[in-house]
Amino acid sequence: MTAPPARPAKGPRERSDSEQGPLASLDVRGLVRTFGPIRAVDGLSFTLHPGELLTVFGPNGAGKSTLLNLLAGALQPSGGEVRMEGRLRSHGDVEWRRSVGILSHRTFLYGHLTARENLRFYGRLFGVPHLEERIVERLEAVELERRGDEPVRGFSRGMRQRLGLARTLLHDPAIVLLDEPYTGLDVHAASLLRELLSSLKDGRRTVVLVTHDLNQGLELADRVAIQVRGRFAHLDQAAHLPSGPVDAFYREVVEEALEEGR
Amino acid sequence: MKDYLRQVGALVWKDLTLELRTWDRMSAMGAFAVLVAVLFHYAVDRTVIHPRELAAGLIWLTIVFGGLLGLGRTFALEEEDGAFDGILTSPMPKDAIFLAKVSSNFLLLLLLVLLVLFVFVLFFQVAVRGNPFALFGVLSLGVLGFTALGTLYSGVTVRTRMGETLLPVLVFPLLIPMVVFGVRGTSLLFAGVSVSGVEGSLRVLGGFSLVALLSGAFLFRFVVED
Repeated sequence: MTAPPARPAKGPRERSDSEQGPLASLDVRGLVRTFGPIRAVDGLSFTLHPGELLTVFGPNGAGKSTLLNLLAGALQPSGGEVRMEGRLRSHGDVEWRRSVGILSHRTFLYGHLTARENLRFYGRLFGVPHLEERIVERLEAVELERRGDEPVRGFSRGMRQRLGLARTLLHDPAIVLLDEPYTGLDVHAASLLRELLSSLKDGRRTVVLVTHDLNQGLELADRVAIQVRGRFAHLDQAAHLPSGPVDAFYREVVEEALEEGR
Repeated sequence: MKDYLRQVGALVWKDLTLELRTWDRMSAMGAFAVLVAVLFHYAVDRTVIHPRELAAGLIWLTIVFGGLLGLGRTFALEEEDGAFDGILTSPMPKDAIFLAKVSSNFLLLLLLVLLVLFVFVLFFQVAVRGNPFALFGVLSLGVLGFTALGTLYSGVTVRTRMGETLLPVLVFPLLIPMVVFGVRGTSLLFAGVSVSGVEGSLRVLGGFSLVALLSGAFLFRFVVED
């Protein structure tokens, strides 16, 4: 694990070139979230530097989505703290949510609105400047510019997920959270989405990706965590993973962690 | 403040656009209002009871029952593809979400009120002898308080198993002052009483709406946050 950032600041710092958007480190210390007697997230600590992509693997019920919801500000932690560029996330932190974009297998889109209307709605919630130009840019980036005026309910699952990515990145968030983004996609749609997600590795955005799929998760990862029963049973650089079949290593780590928990 | 109003405006625009495209709630509320008016038209013996004596009570009951059909679906519409989580993870404050939802529901319920008045005038030949602006004041203040409470409780019940069935059970006891003073004010205005005669009802309804709005805006965060 790496040390927390040395330079505390008030928010994500801006690069001199404003076109390149904000940068932010993410520092998590002793994060806990309980649901009754269950500790869904149990004392997690890690630091991500700007531009790093952490992939979190883990079995069902390991607390991966809860971790993302805590990072997104949708859930309040029961203990511990989360900092972005040294700034502590507080309860109801509006500025925090402005710096985060989240994409899950649910797209947060309205079927009866057109693609453009969906983006316009979210753009106004986030206060995106020059919104109409930004919408055109985002639609082009996900190759949906020709379908922008069609209702989303007529879109395929893959198109919806691409539009969901456009929505996620519309406000140029410093931190991007991806929760099982490939769920329900066929091979072609998954490959198209993977190409789009690889554009997130621009050295600017800090990304946390949660997935069951080892191969898809490893393709983009700088660092890898395996979460079991709310804790990280493994956290290291992706390059440090042992050679050989990764699924055997994953099974070994999970089984060992489950054994220790008994 | 500008950001706040822009966010409220965006959510109201989205809700009304969806309603215009789906007629999901207005069709249910409108059909209910017309049905009640038709049924009572045939059920009431006009040789025994003058329609004006019943009209105020029937109008308010139609608004409350019909309105709950629409209010109960306030957050059900947001369940599509996790859309409400998209709003909750946006920088929109929770009280702004509540006020936006109340605003869009209020506009829909005002349409219901107009429809209810129209069908009751049509079927019962009820004439408004009092000040029509005062009647609008009584109805809109009552509906505002009702909408604020209904919206808050719709957020409470949307993720429960009983959902829309539970909403009336929770909301009805709280609506008693609104119904009592709403019916009183409406009935006096139908009878031709002047504005000063319904001042008391207007004040109670205004106070009721203000308390419902402020408490709803404060409590909404506890409803939507885990």
